[in-house]
Amino acid sequence: MGFGSFIARRIITFIPTIIGVLFLTYIIAYAVPTDPVRAWVSEKLTDPKLIERIREEYKFNAPWYEQFAFFVTSIFTGSLRDPVRHTNVFDEIKTRFPVTVELALVSFIFLVAISIPLGILAALYKDSWIDFLVRILAFFGSSMPSFVLYYFMILIFFSWLRATYLAGIPMISLQCMDKLNNIATTYPVIGGVIASIGYVPLFGGAMCGEWDVVSETLKRLYVPALSLALLNGGFIARIVRNSFLDALGSEYILFAKARGLRRFNVWRHALKNTMVPVTTILGLSFGGLLSGAVIAETVFNIPGIGRYMYESIMRLNFPALIASVLLVALIYVIINLIVDILYAYIDPRIRY
Amino acid sequence: MRDAVYNLLSKSIDLYVALRDKIDPQWSMRNASRIEEWRLMAYAFSRSYIGLLGGLIVFVTIVTAVIGPIIAPQPYWVYPVIENESLRYLPPCIPPICSGGPLLGTDEWGRDLLSMILYGVRISFVISVVIVLLGVPIGILLGLVAGYRGGLVDESIMRLTDMFLAFPGLILAIAFASVMPQRIRDILEASPPLRDFLSAIFGLRPQEYGQLAALISVWVAMVIVWWPGYARIVRGTVLSVREQPFVEAAKLLGLSTSKILYRHILPNIISPIIVMMTFDLATATLAAAALSFLGLGPQEPVPELGYLISKAGQFFPEKSLHVVAIVGSILLIIALGWNLLGDALRDVLDPKTRRSLEFRRRG
Repeated sequence: MGFGSFIARRIITFIPTIIGVLFLTYIIAYAVPTDPVRAWVSEKLTDPKLIERIREEYKFNAPWYEQFAFFVTSIFTGSLRDPVRHTNVFDEIKTRFPVTVELALVSFIFLVAISIPLGILAALYKDSWIDFLVRILAFFGSSMPSFVLYYFMILIFFSWLRATYLAGIPMISLQCMDKLNNIATTYPVIGGVIASIGYVPLFGGAMCGEWDVVSETLKRLYVPALSLALLNGGFIARIVRNSFLDALGSEYILFAKARGLRRFNVWRHALKNTMVPVTTILGLSFGGLLSGAVIAETVFNIPGIGRYMYESIMRLNFPALIASVLLVALIYVIINLIVDILYAYIDPRIRY
Repeated sequence: MRDAVYNLLSKSIDLYVALRDKIDPQWSMRNASRIEEWRLMAYAFSRSYIGLLGGLIVFVTIVTAVIGPIIAPQPYWVYPVIENESLRYLPPCIPPICSGGPLLGTDEWGRDLLSMILYGVRISFVISVVIVLLGVPIGILLGLVAGYRGGLVDESIMRLTDMFLAFPGLILAIAFASVMPQRIRDILEASPPLRDFLSAIFGLRPQEYGQLAALISVWVAMVIVWWPGYARIVRGTVLSVREQPFVEAAKLLGLSTSKILYRHILPNIISPIIVMMTFDLATATLAAAALSFLGLGPQEPVPELGYLISKAGQFFPEKSLHVVAIVGSILLIIALGWNLLGDALRDVLDPKTRRSLEFRRRG
């Protein structure tokens, strides 16, 4: 099977997965034993007529398949409304998802900066103190309750050092937002892409020259990002170490050494092959970061997509839940596909 | 120490072999090579410091979980703070420095933290074991069937697995855990024997069945989330084992599918699964604590470890630093025990890494 048809096949198998995820979310929502409409409206407004209207709007009186069809169509037409916040669900996601993207990016940078050098050093100096350190870090990361680590990071960086803050999240100015919207409308496709990158304050700030937004964002996010990276860094460093050791032990390295290559060049050969499994695991952890770190976002008080989903579940706000889960599942599936393609690209022996 | 562990393991193997021989006299003769392999595993394990440390921690965890609620000096359902306001969040009192106070301090309600931990370890242990023991067989079964049968069966099982994997695990668990308590509560209310049995397992009082329902919904939610990873890995391994000559031979002999799966394929893929289960006991402990931390597990008065931390987090760090630090370390140690044990088992169960030890012994 050629490369093109492999991708085509993978994209076709997306569709049942995505429909399944939507349906699963819907089943969970439907299984709620209490009446969600009662949970949405506040006590003061329990006018039966109003409840009846909301019920009508979200098709609660219709059979389940009509209700499901209603959710699916309103998601794809973008008209789904958040019944708790009385806003369009997509506007809500548009402000929250960029925050998660920022956190994921900063955390990913820390993750790469921690795991790859440590892993390589641990492999080169096998059984030395640095190898031991990587091992300890891996055990620590997989055994530490994440929320306990977050509390202690807050204690160190916020209570003692006063080097970060825990309230709010910096946003780009309205002028900058207007500029981005303008770009999106004037240049249909490319402008849309540029604008959606710009909606992430970290990049939008840089595009509009609002550097204080960039620095404030970094100051706000580096502690949670570092904590997330610490939790996964050791594990990934171990994978880097093991696959680098595997590569160093292979025959082409022996050959390269026999040919008298310099040590650094020998390592470069080995590194290329090390990157195959490392790309996979890094790609998947980036996907995991993008789907929202619920606990980190809760403890550090970051209004990201993970917390939005969590809050939606707690308030039985399942129009919001369905939309955000769909987004997250799409990202997961797409990242998986990208990882597979990268895999085939890095290692030409792998073709499907 | 290492020899003592080896002797202990070797004695238990002897005991098991003697038992099997009682049932079926020829058993040890037919399985001589397998028994020899077990002995080698026991030997390799007793030479691994990581494994010994992990095994020790796991052993202590199990003992604490079994006897904890029985020896706990204070009940969790009495709030001393009602009588005496000053008992709230007392700091730890370790003998040489101070005396008379509670050893590890008190929590929000003035309850002795040591007792709360003794109750909490039981809850954490039971929930993690049950999650893994119930979630894994579902995954193994589906993975075996998908990998062996192939075709449409494979495709549909794998699409189902993809669907569950595409859902962020914690969110899925939160969603299930939030919709289920009401139903489980109804079930528990309807059948007192079940209620008594489950609360005895968790070391709780039967009248807390409302909280028990929350605990069980966390447990069920985690089982639902847990199986897909196993299904995918088992399927992958089965695909590679399926093509080997001994499976062909078994097929030609006319063995039934279930017999081939159970007798010929499963033993060949079980070692990595055992290792993964050991690691997952750590993950399950932490994940269940995380759900309780988010407020989905049991509430007052049940001293679930994650819930204790989330309550203490509200006053962090001024008053409750010791609660977060101590309860957090307990969770860390439990998870670390499983992770260390899993790391050692991976080396011990893999014939490639075990062989070096094998030769050292013979030589």
